[in-house]
Amino acid sequence: MIESISRHRAVWQRLAACLVGSIVLAAMWSPVEGSSTDFYYELRKTERFPRLFVFLGIGLLVFLLITYSAKVRPYVSRPGVGPAFVGVLIALSGYVFMHWNDNVGDKKFNTVAKAVSDTNGLSWLTKAYYGWLHWAFLALVVILLGIAVVMERRIAAWIAVAVAVLAALDTYKAHHDVGQRAGGIDHSLGWVMVILGYAVLAVAGLVVAVTADQMAATREILNRWMSWRPGLPLAGVGLVVGLMSLLAGAWFAPQDPHYNSSYSDMHAVFGPTNLVGFAKTYLDWLAWVLLIAATVVAAVAAYLRNRVLGWVAAGIGIACCVFSLVVIYKYSSLAAHASPGDGTTWNNLGTAPWMAAAAFLLLAGAGTVVANPGLAKGRAGLAELGAKSVLSPNVVRTGIIIALAFAIFFPPTMTSFWQQVLVTEIGPYLLLAVGLNVVVGWAGLLDLGYIAFFAVGCYFTAYLTNSLPIKPPSWLVMPPLAAIPVAIVVCAITGLILGAPTLRLRGDYLAIVTLGFGEIIQLAANNADGVTNGSRGTGVDPIHHVTNVPHPSVHIGSLHITWGQNQLQYWYLLVLYLVILVVAMRGLEHSRIGRAWAAIREDEVAAEASGINAFRAKLLAFAIGAASSGVAGVFYASQVGFFSPTDFTLIYSILIVAYVVFGGMGSLAGALGGAAALTWLPRFLQDQVPPADKQMWIGAIVVLMMLFRPAGLIPAKRRRIEMEGIDDAPHAETMAVAPAGSLGGVG
Amino acid sequence: MRTRVVTGAAILVTVGAMALAGCGSSGGGKNTGLGGSSGTNSSGGSGGGQTYKIGFQGALSGDNKQLGINEVNSFNLAIKEWNAQSNAPFKVTGVTSDDAGDNNKSPAAAAALIGDSAVVGVIGPIFSGPTSAAGKAYATAGMALISPSATNETLTSSGFTTFHRIVPTDGVEGKATADYLAAKFKNVFVVDDTTVYGKGVADVVQTELRAKGVTTERQGTNGANDSNLGPIATAIGGAKAQAVYFGGYDAEGALLAKALKAANYTGLVIGGNGVKSSVFTQNAGAAGDGFYFACGCQDATTAPTAKAFNTAYTQAYGTPPSTYSPEAYDATNALLQAIKTAQSSGTVTRASVETAVNALDYQGITTVVKFAPNGEVAQATVNLYKQEGGKIVELGDITKQK
Amino acid sequence: MATFMNYLVLGLTRGSIYALIALGYTMVYGVLQLINFAHSEVFMSGAFGSYLIVHGIVGAGGHQSPLVVVGVIAAGMVVGALTAGAVGWTLERVAYRPLRRRNAAKLTFLISAIGASFFLSQFAGKIFTSQSTNSFPTFFAQNKPLFKLFGASVTVIEIIDIVFAVAAMIALDRLVSATKLGRAIRAVAEDAPTAALMGVNIDKTISRTFVIGGLLGGLAGFLFGLNYGFGNTMGFQPGVKAFAAAVLGGIGNVRGAMLGGMLIGLVEALLPTAPWINGTAWIGIRWTDVVAFLVLVGVLMFRPTGLLGERLGRAA
Repeated sequence: MIESISRHRAVWQRLAACLVGSIVLAAMWSPVEGSSTDFYYELRKTERFPRLFVFLGIGLLVFLLITYSAKVRPYVSRPGVGPAFVGVLIALSGYVFMHWNDNVGDKKFNTVAKAVSDTNGLSWLTKAYYGWLHWAFLALVVILLGIAVVMERRIAAWIAVAVAVLAALDTYKAHHDVGQRAGGIDHSLGWVMVILGYAVLAVAGLVVAVTADQMAATREILNRWMSWRPGLPLAGVGLVVGLMSLLAGAWFAPQDPHYNSSYSDMHAVFGPTNLVGFAKTYLDWLAWVLLIAATVVAAVAAYLRNRVLGWVAAGIGIACCVFSLVVIYKYSSLAAHASPGDGTTWNNLGTAPWMAAAAFLLLAGAGTVVANPGLAKGRAGLAELGAKSVLSPNVVRTGIIIALAFAIFFPPTMTSFWQQVLVTEIGPYLLLAVGLNVVVGWAGLLDLGYIAFFAVGCYFTAYLTNSLPIKPPSWLVMPPLAAIPVAIVVCAITGLILGAPTLRLRGDYLAIVTLGFGEIIQLAANNADGVTNGSRGTGVDPIHHVTNVPHPSVHIGSLHITWGQNQLQYWYLLVLYLVILVVAMRGLEHSRIGRAWAAIREDEVAAEASGINAFRAKLLAFAIGAASSGVAGVFYASQVGFFSPTDFTLIYSILIVAYVVFGGMGSLAGALGGAAALTWLPRFLQDQVPPADKQMWIGAIVVLMMLFRPAGLIPAKRRRIEMEGIDDAPHAETMAVAPAGSLGGVG
Repeated sequence: MRTRVVTGAAILVTVGAMALAGCGSSGGGKNTGLGGSSGTNSSGGSGGGQTYKIGFQGALSGDNKQLGINEVNSFNLAIKEWNAQSNAPFKVTGVTSDDAGDNNKSPAAAAALIGDSAVVGVIGPIFSGPTSAAGKAYATAGMALISPSATNETLTSSGFTTFHRIVPTDGVEGKATADYLAAKFKNVFVVDDTTVYGKGVADVVQTELRAKGVTTERQGTNGANDSNLGPIATAIGGAKAQAVYFGGYDAEGALLAKALKAANYTGLVIGGNGVKSSVFTQNAGAAGDGFYFACGCQDATTAPTAKAFNTAYTQAYGTPPSTYSPEAYDATNALLQAIKTAQSSGTVTRASVETAVNALDYQGITTVVKFAPNGEVAQATVNLYKQEGGKIVELGDITKQK
Repeated sequence: MATFMNYLVLGLTRGSIYALIALGYTMVYGVLQLINFAHSEVFMSGAFGSYLIVHGIVGAGGHQSPLVVVGVIAAGMVVGALTAGAVGWTLERVAYRPLRRRNAAKLTFLISAIGASFFLSQFAGKIFTSQSTNSFPTFFAQNKPLFKLFGASVTVIEIIDIVFAVAAMIALDRLVSATKLGRAIRAVAEDAPTAALMGVNIDKTISRTFVIGGLLGGLAGFLFGLNYGFGNTMGFQPGVKAFAAAVLGGIGNVRGAMLGGMLIGLVEALLPTAPWINGTAWIGIRWTDVVAFLVLVGVLMFRPTGLLGERLGRAA
């Protein structure tokens, strides 16, 4: 009786929470902003019927879903359902959020669809796709998968796979047709998202159709597939990317769209020119031959698990990649010299040449995976021990290679806006996140003043390059790249100075002290006009003898590179810094000091009892974290040239901690992923919601992420194992006694 | 396990709702199919069928977004009014770019506008820091900039060749104010709010006062967001200063006025153009009566055109125009005039618009928009204003005040 | 002397508000070992809530009879406290309880708090206004000095600030030391699982702790708004100072928070303005924050667990 009353109360509470939540969502989702003279303005304007009813309806729906989740649960844990969810989400996001054609109105799907319906002469399939077919495909796939899971008819899953593949092909064709018609340069990615979504749905369908298990075990399946023939999936991806670039992409895209050419057109465009022989051959047919050859070698090497052949494949892949880049340079610069107004070298290309280079890199990567089958004899890893909750090294390495190819070859295809965002708003924070990960993630020290080290790095770089009112002795003046080691040392010393008195303090006291130091440094920079030019910053200020920080440049022998022409140069510099930092950090993580940090993080007293000098270890963490912000400081200062104390306020320190924890503290990939995601998000949201509301949505997303995935985006292996155990988490059905609820928070 | 269901369901539902919402709301375009991309191109020609794009860069999110919202509202209003003209020589579309008031977000915001080849002129950036960060890029692209509120002195000597601003530089206002104070007082207390603008203008005032032999005392507040102005008011009272100059913005100015009133300060208090706005009158209330403002601008509340602007703004946005709204309105209209000039004398490109902006001579509601070669507005008169009975009234040219 | 007393009164006023906010931080830390970053937004919501009721009663202001003024102030305090209490309660249910259930790491709580803080301040900006400073109706501007204390004039609002803040602190002290709820709070702060075994309802106690912290924060919000104006981002700076104050006094220690708050307020008013004669200042008011943080760091160097030591359980 009592139980049923409390259950009823719980239900009513849940309903109330859902309804209130929906009202809050309605208030968030309105285009109106508040008024300073009439505080009720926004509330009145936006809560109008029937809009409010729609949101209340959504709240009701969510309530019903939660209440009846028990009925749904057994089906949801079947294999394939998780990936199906993900696939639908990706496809929907592609339709709702992404751009579909840069040359049509506000670039969203609905606008393009409207334009398509107003256009004559497009194929029936394309028109239908933009009209109703896209929804029909998605609904059909979902329904078929539903039938397959609930009623256990595998044939439905096979049909779903076929429909998904068809839908992906139709999406591609429809987008291609529209692109041809609209003309101009198009960087939109909505179609890529949707195709990805359908690909995931197809995989989900395959899983549903093929597995006999009753329980999903995604990581285990992934490990099994990847271990069957390591390197083969990578070779497959490389082949697909290469095919896409040779069959469909634009190889030459100058300002004058008359000359947009795909691979098959290149012969016509560059045949009559005096392009060097090997380049012409490449553009005629050689690319096909190289692609097929590299793929065949990589695939055979993977299938036979032959290490020598793997190295050969890697060599061929790299050689083809470099060769492609040389060819691209040749014809691009030829075209640039012929008509400079149509785009400079490297800027008059479409996306396809980069995809081709990426394809060869992926094939080379496949070769390396085959050549290094993961583990030396006698040193079994966790995955090989049968641990199911850990991804095997093959999966991880495949991921890293794909990420690397992406990082090298995707930025050239971005618009100048996104390149600038990448380099100014995302880049420095990637470096900072790597450093803070050491302090917060590995050593477990809560540092709320981390941006102070960044400030020290930036200002010291400015000092060394003679850009501040306070002038260094003439022998100390140096170009920015040479300032890196000096900045690292100075920042490390700053870390030691700040850490020595404070690291004896316990957790939360450390937080407030570091916060205090961060504020002190920022305020000192703001008020010390003679040293830092105060709030004016390091802009061009002839009155106070201040100049911009110069851009990096390299002049060694016959090698002359000056940064500053475009943002891509900085990106590759950043990738270089990142690779160096990441390699250094990984070495640290698995060393003695890394284990000491883990021990201190978990239980400092026990660690000290085991003989670890906790103070020294913490100091080292602080210094290393500070040193890496020195690198970030040099990079940022020499890139933007102008910065002021407002770039180093408390809120940035807090944000960087949020990036690291959001991404998964303690894991390098997590820190990088979290920083990338949360610095990209504001710019992405800019198109979706009124700019004034961006921070509100980001705050909501951060809270939701913490609630539903507290370990972060890419949790550290160690932490996940701590939480879930080496084997998969036990499911309710397999346990006789359900685990007790928490007693409410012992810290 | 259950949380996965819930998460997945919630996300699906929300995204689906947005998709539905998107289905309904978007679609306003008068698209006539593909290939005739929504009619924006920058090639010239006569005839009313042309549409040009102008950009706005400012803080539309973050802590300072209210200032950006004030200005972008004026920007959009000016565009709407222009397009509604019965004989508009061309139509205008506005594009906004958010820099959140941060230096490090400014380059990308500028890149968005520069990369859009249809944009021929930009209003903004609204803060000095972002201007310093992006000025070079705009200069290289040859894109005219008219800023309604970036006031740092060095901006016009930093090599930003396409930068213009509507508000007078601190040097002009500060000097005029200092001369006015020096003629009347022997002992002045100078307060600044540690921002680029506040400190800059306070420095100018103090230097000029010292040159005229006036004893000055200088203090900074604890930051532009400092709400604790009691100590500084006490310090002013203790120093027995005859007058106070405040270099800073309206919000803090209002708090200073209230604090001085509470400390029974009876001397003269004067501030610059950053303090003079409806935010000050709203927040200071009766305590602001007797506060003076020195502004290199005309009265934007009583002229007939200004009244029309006030009404239109309030009607469109539900709140009266606020800090820098009138300046942004003037800047936008001036840019539109420049485009009109460029169109009538040839093609409308970024270069021709820049030339036209340099040659502007347009009567706005806050000032005559006419630029010196370095981009400063040529308005020479600094006017004195005073708050009386909760309203700011113009007293006239400061050099002619007793 | 008069100048010094002026600064002293200003410092006490500001300090009492910091103390009220610091109490919220310290109580939540005591029971959850969590730095509740979103408490600054709870404080802010109190200001908005009280403004709505005050504006509702008297509109734009103008002269009011003393009775109305008293009534309005009382209403403002009550409604402000209640609004903030409600927001605090919701915050705990939505952002922290699910994490407690899953035994999440402490930093996860912190980031959830930070996200909630962003969300709440921007949400308030969206639905009310994002103008950084707004003030209460103008009749409050006629803030007359009530009496002179050694030459320093003390205004009505300052008296209200100090008196009600001290009253609230005393009430809280009594609550924590002498009532059943207070014992429950101290028990949970000392050792939560054992308290549960003894029959204390952990969830309810934690909920009520948040509500109490919210009530105090809301009161502080109203008083702050009266004195210094309010806005949707008003919570950040006072929040950081109050958190520093709580740590200064010993995080988790109720009396420590009160002491710390008062101390920080006095330090802010007195140290940068020394030597308090004729308006000259050796350090300068622009360095106030630096001075405050240096004092904090200095104290923590010598007393690493704060002035009065830690722990709710051991203090009272």
